[in-house]
Amino acid sequence: MPLALVQFTPFPSLSHPSFWHKLTQLKLDVLKLSDAQVDITGSYGVGRLIRDREAGAWISVNANLAVEEESFTDTKIPTRSVAARGTLKNYNTIEEFKAADKTMLFNECADKIWESIVTNKDTSLLNSFLIITYADLKKYKYYYWFAFPAFVASPSWHITERGWVPAIQAGFSEAQMSSIYEQLLGNQPLQAFFVVLTPSDASTEVTVSAIDAYVPGATVGFIDPSAQLQNPGWPLRNLLAYLRYSYPDSMSSLDVLSWRDTEIPREGWKSRVGSLVVGDGSLSKAAVVPNARPNAVGWEKNVQGKLGPRVADLAPMMDPTRLANQAVDLNLKLMRWRIVPSLDLDKIAATRCLLLGAGTLGCYVARCLMGWGVRTITLVDSARVSFSNPVRQPLFQFSDCLNGGRPKAECAAERLREVWPGLNASGYTLSIPMPGHPIPVSPSLCEQVQQDVEKLEKLIEEHDVVYLLMDSRESRWLPTVIARSKDKLVMNAALGFDTFLVMRHGARHTLDDNSRLGCYYCNDIVAPADSLTDRTLDQMCTVTRPGLASIAASTAVELMVSVLQHPRSIHASASSSSSSNYADIIDVEKTSVLGLVPHQLRGYLAQFRNLHIVGAAYDKCTGCSEIVINAYETEGFSMLLNAFNDSKYLERLTGLDNLFAEGEKALRDVEWIEEEEDNDF
Amino acid sequence: MLTRPQFDIACRALVGKYAYTAPSPATTPLKGWSWHEHASINGLGYLSRRTIHTRFSCFGTDDEELYREEYEEQQDESTATAVPDATLVCQQYIVYSATYQVPAFYFTMHDCNGSPLALADIVNTSLFRPSAFDSAELTTFALNIPDRMFPLLSQGDHPTLGTPSWYLHPCESAGAVDELMRELGEAEWTTEEGLVRWIEMWIMVVSTVVELCE
Repeated sequence: MPLALVQFTPFPSLSHPSFWHKLTQLKLDVLKLSDAQVDITGSYGVGRLIRDREAGAWISVNANLAVEEESFTDTKIPTRSVAARGTLKNYNTIEEFKAADKTMLFNECADKIWESIVTNKDTSLLNSFLIITYADLKKYKYYYWFAFPAFVASPSWHITERGWVPAIQAGFSEAQMSSIYEQLLGNQPLQAFFVVLTPSDASTEVTVSAIDAYVPGATVGFIDPSAQLQNPGWPLRNLLAYLRYSYPDSMSSLDVLSWRDTEIPREGWKSRVGSLVVGDGSLSKAAVVPNARPNAVGWEKNVQGKLGPRVADLAPMMDPTRLANQAVDLNLKLMRWRIVPSLDLDKIAATRCLLLGAGTLGCYVARCLMGWGVRTITLVDSARVSFSNPVRQPLFQFSDCLNGGRPKAECAAERLREVWPGLNASGYTLSIPMPGHPIPVSPSLCEQVQQDVEKLEKLIEEHDVVYLLMDSRESRWLPTVIARSKDKLVMNAALGFDTFLVMRHGARHTLDDNSRLGCYYCNDIVAPADSLTDRTLDQMCTVTRPGLASIAASTAVELMVSVLQHPRSIHASASSSSSSNYADIIDVEKTSVLGLVPHQLRGYLAQFRNLHIVGAAYDKCTGCSEIVINAYETEGFSMLLNAFNDSKYLERLTGLDNLFAEGEKALRDVEWIEEEEDNDF
Repeated sequence: MLTRPQFDIACRALVGKYAYTAPSPATTPLKGWSWHEHASINGLGYLSRRTIHTRFSCFGTDDEELYREEYEEQQDESTATAVPDATLVCQQYIVYSATYQVPAFYFTMHDCNGSPLALADIVNTSLFRPSAFDSAELTTFALNIPDRMFPLLSQGDHPTLGTPSWYLHPCESAGAVDELMRELGEAEWTTEEGLVRWIEMWIMVVSTVVELCE
């Protein structure tokens, strides 16, 4: 009669997220740096067959040894499950975890099980397990490795030719199965191991008893986590070791009931019976009885099927930064779902914004961009936070002003990251050279200026939108030129006392014959010059109504978003006046999904009124005309140096000086601009 | 529509009613639920249960770096070859939505490591009926059906536990349940029986999308 080797299904482990939450708490509050062993309790049920609804085939699902929050605290075991005692050892570093003496830990655990067999004649530790862990609390990653020590029988257990068969085929009646079911399920948690006794008279009654009631010839049973038809589950191994040690004379053959029913079945009992024998028949019985502890195996294999640790990554559930990112997106998506279904949020989120100026406007613009889910915000400023700043500049606070003040750009970027850690925010202290502000004749200073210009060129290159948010008119010139050369979208905001200007600079290359939109300097008939020196204090400071900056900043950001949502984006032609021109509102060409995309907005707070203005590009403009851009592109830094040092250079270059010479007539034509001019800085 | 007290009565009665029924495709959606109260505040109770699912596609999340050092164990012929563990655990909740005054179905899903599944993976499990999301548009945090005002499935905090969960948007379920109840007509039910029927119908409506039989 050929005998087949009995092969046992390894225990798969299952860690519920609550187990890791509890371990985190335990580590922080109780264990701290201790790596003492902790007693825990796991549980397992029976393996199950699940009908695949699509294919109709049965899928066998082995039961896992599961650990969860309650594993640490009490012995509250889920219903229809068996309790298993375990030991947890948590390491403080990944290195210690890797270097842990696994063989020693494993042997300790196996020794305990063996001792319980030999000295206590006890089966309660037969299914004990070991788990080693390392909790990377910063990354919410948990490294762990389970071991389920099982004694290797020598000679091994074999099964008779019949193999494992349904219990009904092995002689158990329906009534007997129901009786066993009721007796087993009547005790919760379930007994892991038991004996099924049939009274000696021909009665059909069966009694389920604890394992120490075993008498030779009785059927032993165990709650079987395996769902494989011909493979019993792991816990049977140690039960067999226990029986072979405790009843050495009657272990030549043994009937085993592998119990797999924890629900009254609809389609027949799933529990199975096998007749096991020691050895494959080729050995004499003399070789049997072991006294020393047999070898044990049982480290769990990982996903790759190798003996090695596993990793639980709980960051998507626990990492506050990732949760915040999801929440920010969710908020915006709600707007899309409800109001504007065709809004392209990804485009906005992917827009990299460079904010030149981290003052009142810069702070508000940054916050508003964050609200739109913009991921990359870079701030540039040359100043430090001063005592007058925090009340008006919402990213700063009193402590930032102490000890000379923190650099504004870096400080603002840090604050932005505090608001939303998912933001890629950075700050650079940089002063932007200005036309009409000569560079002192000193090689080292000149070199510094050149470095600053190069840095600015690099920053503009690396971003998609440049915000001009400085407090002077002439400091906007250099970034205007560079951004025009690189054809970036420029958003410009400037404040007067109760007026503001928000505008977008036109694109360098037009797609069709639409007239090009102008820049900040297109309406000027003089080149930007020193507006800062020789001014009184009230003229130098930005003295504005406090609400104005947030209105202007929000307007600038919303204008950018409207531009980005327009199909022609930076090339969108401008809608003109807000006063009466409703034609624009229905003119698809001039609107985005969010509405109009004006060129310039002038706000008058005293009248609570905004005016839309469209200004064409001026071919003699000192900021965006091709003459200037070409000179910058061919001559580079030396051209810029001319502009900084010689206040008449730009006017000569563009021919504005000739124009100026035409006198009064030209001035009268553009008189209204001059009135406005002071308000812009 | 259901008031909070009605929800409580219905849920507790449901737990009692199906505690000892034999499992069948008709009863499994209704079985296995248990009632939980908030640890300190009354009136925030919810139903919960845990179900096992399998993944259709296999994806490993373990850290490659750790596998370089391989551990050796004695060769053992009595160990069966391990089949890859495709077990997924779904923690399901039926909570009360104060906004919509109907029950809402919340759930989380994790693999045997305890790692939560991404939405793209969740929709590829046996939790959902294969055709449930045929016309849906998937993002990392929600599943939208075109022309519907609210996403079918999105992320939100569990109303009682405050933990991140997924939920099916409840706004359309009440109408469907009320319609089914009208079909059943006015039977001679006690108040409690009527409420249990209501929640049973609600679970049936949910199970047109979610596989509640495991």
